[in-house]
Amino acid sequence: MTLRSIRWLSAAAITVLVLGAGLGWRQSLRAGPAQRPDWTESTEPRYLTPVALQLSPNGQRLYVVCQDSNLLLAVDTHSQQVVERVKVGRKPAGIALSPDGNKLYVSSEWSNTISEIDADSFRVRRTLDSGWGPVGITTDRSGKVLYVANTQGDNVSLIDLTAGHEIKRLDAGRFPEYLARSRDGRFVYVSNLLARVATYDEPVVSELTVIDTTRQVVSQRVEVPGAIQLRHITEVPASAGGYLLVPFMRPKNMNPLIHLQQGWYLTHGLAVIRLEGNSEAPKARVAEVLLDDIDHYYADGMGAASTPDGRWVLVTASGANVVSVIDTAKLNSVLRQVPASNPEALANRLDSARQFVAQRLPTGRNPAAVVVSPDGCLAYIANRMDDTISVVDLRLLRVASTIDLGGPKEITAVRRGESLFFDARYSFQGQLACATCHPHIGLSDGLAWVLESPQLGRDVVENRTLLSIAQTSPYKWNGKNLDLATQDGPRTARYIFRSEGFSQSEVKDLVTFINSLRLSPNPHLASGGRLNESQSRGRAIFFRITTNDGRLIPPQKRCYYCHPPLTHYTSRVAMNVGTATRYDTIQSFDIPQIEGVYMRAPYLHNGEALSLEEIWTKFNPEDKHGITSDMDKVQLNDLIEYLKTL
Amino acid sequence: MSSLPSQELRKITRIILTCCALLAGLLLFSPCASRAQELPLYTQWINYTQDNGFPEGEVFSVTVDGNRVWAGTAHGLVLLENGQVKRVFTPADGLVGRAVMSIAVDKRTGDVWVGTFGGLSQYSGGQFKNYTNLSSGLANDLVYSVALQGQYVWVATAAGVNRLDTYSGAWTIFNEKNAPFDEPWSYSLALGKDKVYMGVWGGGVIVYDTANRSWRPYEDPDGEMEIVLYRNQGLIHQIVSGVTYNPDTDMFWASTYFGLSGYDGRNWHNYLTKDSGLASDFINAVKSRGNDVWACTDKGLSYLDYRTQTWVNYTPDPKSGRGEIEITAPDGKKRRIETSTSLAHNYILNMDFQGTDIWIATARGLSHGIRQPRKGEQLNASNKSRR
Repeated sequence: MTLRSIRWLSAAAITVLVLGAGLGWRQSLRAGPAQRPDWTESTEPRYLTPVALQLSPNGQRLYVVCQDSNLLLAVDTHSQQVVERVKVGRKPAGIALSPDGNKLYVSSEWSNTISEIDADSFRVRRTLDSGWGPVGITTDRSGKVLYVANTQGDNVSLIDLTAGHEIKRLDAGRFPEYLARSRDGRFVYVSNLLARVATYDEPVVSELTVIDTTRQVVSQRVEVPGAIQLRHITEVPASAGGYLLVPFMRPKNMNPLIHLQQGWYLTHGLAVIRLEGNSEAPKARVAEVLLDDIDHYYADGMGAASTPDGRWVLVTASGANVVSVIDTAKLNSVLRQVPASNPEALANRLDSARQFVAQRLPTGRNPAAVVVSPDGCLAYIANRMDDTISVVDLRLLRVASTIDLGGPKEITAVRRGESLFFDARYSFQGQLACATCHPHIGLSDGLAWVLESPQLGRDVVENRTLLSIAQTSPYKWNGKNLDLATQDGPRTARYIFRSEGFSQSEVKDLVTFINSLRLSPNPHLASGGRLNESQSRGRAIFFRITTNDGRLIPPQKRCYYCHPPLTHYTSRVAMNVGTATRYDTIQSFDIPQIEGVYMRAPYLHNGEALSLEEIWTKFNPEDKHGITSDMDKVQLNDLIEYLKTL
Repeated sequence: MSSLPSQELRKITRIILTCCALLAGLLLFSPCASRAQELPLYTQWINYTQDNGFPEGEVFSVTVDGNRVWAGTAHGLVLLENGQVKRVFTPADGLVGRAVMSIAVDKRTGDVWVGTFGGLSQYSGGQFKNYTNLSSGLANDLVYSVALQGQYVWVATAAGVNRLDTYSGAWTIFNEKNAPFDEPWSYSLALGKDKVYMGVWGGGVIVYDTANRSWRPYEDPDGEMEIVLYRNQGLIHQIVSGVTYNPDTDMFWASTYFGLSGYDGRNWHNYLTKDSGLASDFINAVKSRGNDVWACTDKGLSYLDYRTQTWVNYTPDPKSGRGEIEITAPDGKKRRIETSTSLAHNYILNMDFQGTDIWIATARGLSHGIRQPRKGEQLNASNKSRR
């Protein structure tokens, strides 16, 4: 090839790029933000995917929230048959029962609604609006106020059930997912999936938010150090210990991934939280114990439920397909070894669980929620990927039966891939699944990790979302993985799972599943995808070609050049935008797609920017990451408001 | 013939007596006389200063929340409960800045919003969440005032007024580019029904109607001159240090460095030291409820009984610690009362109400004023504030 032809080809390539970006710009201006396909339009079989459970007060009905079919089922616990079903909102996620047992409330994460269902007629009585991305849900003791955890809004809606509308929102932590009302009704506890936003070199801290139901205010934000992904909350009665147990994951994200053994990279366990003090001066003591054994891990704790007498607590390991049955008397003995001066004394001990775990019972695939019958004899576990319910006999500590909820029997590639996504058995000692670091079906866990370098603290990279990443190759911050099959196959096996990993056909299924993942409806967009004034101004800035004083912005310094709309807002190449630090081996990083960017803090390749603003206020001093130094604060705010709509 | 004069006399006497009785009644029960007797006098003061463990220096702001009192000082945020200092929050506790200029308590959520010279803090559930110019959409880290309106947090900064939508996280900036701001330096905020009143240093008062998203600026018709050519024809001066809205009278009041202004929707009511009982034309803040108007001046605390136009000024004697109450009647006559206790300092920066009590932020400590009971009256400094 001659030098001339190389020049010609280069010029042509640049022209195509610029034209493509320009075309994307024009199309975007004409059509507004692209409407994402509704995941319910899929031609795939509609699996049930049970995720949340609720028992009737007499234990005769088991209510099952089915996420993929937008259904609430009622199962007769005696006959173990599905006897009722009712359609609810999109992607239902949580359920609560009114104190009188007459009404059921189901949150729908993609509709931002709550369905109120008559327990007798099993019909939807009314649909209530909530905040963004409602999941966990509970009433207060009187049944007059509904508390709803809004995952996308980082807050909790309080809905007046008499008036039928929201009365206030209380700030929670990050991505509040599950709620539980205290046994005495004085508090509502909120578990937050993601840790507080912090730079990678700061210790991880998660939050359990405590709401005083009398005053309807946040009375305490309990810090759970060293842990992320707080899940379902169960309160052990005072006679058995009087504390909260919350499954979590303990990441050691600054350790190189080569240290996968002996809990040096991540572990799974429980936060033991004792609330003390009074309403004026609330306090909390937090201890942490692991559920893992030294040679086998019980990945991705999810559901938690105590028997009424508190003797047993069941914790599902959704990545291990196991439910651990905890003997609280023995747990209390172990906890007594924790000195007050060092509450994290057991937090890294892999020899504790054998002292208090009475039984590890196999469940179906991807066990999620667990509930215990009012008489304490039976427990029911929702097996998310099997469309079944495991019934555990707590007198014998064995699985008594499995209830088939009647999902499709045909297993598609997407469904097979989804099962693999949640399955930790493919990793060394069952330590982690894809879902471990991509919780809530594909999110980023919000942490920066040392993934490949054997050197402590070098080449730290922020975890990236898996939502809507189809056609955004290459992958990884260094862009080395040209496709998902490479990323999820040999590279995952070699560098992450430290095992043989998935077979070729399994990789194919997993890639099919990951490519099917979609972002949730964007709450920052008004209905119909219309932009408000600020967002419209921000869009003009995103597509601007001149600075405020009329100077032409070089193409590579324009927002849409690297983040073109036609290719999911990534030009799919690596670029040096001046964000590399002395701890980075490379200077150029893969340009990330920025759809759903509003829910992805922190930002940049190493997570140094704790907010969208900081990308430009702190980490763009030389205008390498786009020309932004001429912008005033109003313009920057507008730009950010537009980015949040993508 | 002889009886006629006698009947006439009796008739005249009855008329005279009736008139006298009516006059006496008018004098006795006229609002002025009644109000003059009912003037709320604060004769007992409890001071919180460096001498008894309070942070030294200026107290920039004070906000009452039931039996709790929040004070913004030059050295942190102070929480008092039942008259005792319970805690002093500093940046070491997570507060975004040391100098606390304003405090607003959200009655719905219980959160406390704190404006500092290092940004904005949200105190919730015992933790601080911070917003700065670099990390958020906040226009400037010099935060002078905070006001809460449902899900919205209004923030007055040195670079305009911000509005944070706590549900969506969206920040909006109002400044000279999109609103009638002559100057961006915003000192004060007050909320009315569907209205946000903004006191702008050098820019007068700007009112934003949240219902129809319209603006109305109020400026000094004399421009920036420091003399008043046209009394009561408009805002008394452009340099507005504070603004407050009184829902009881539907008036807003503006404190300036050159006098006090009130606007009732039709007419302006302006006050200067030269023609009223106002202690000083240099006023840092103003508060109003009922018929009461309080002006925080550099020469003491001034109170105006708006209905009777009676003024009461509170000043301390820095040497003796005793205080003086000066009462100026509508006719200009003055009388003075000496008190054994007084304000911590004569330079008054802000104030708030706690039932019938008042809390005063001064340049050298916080003062708690306890009202002298009227005859047969039970005073209540409970959390049932009349605001």
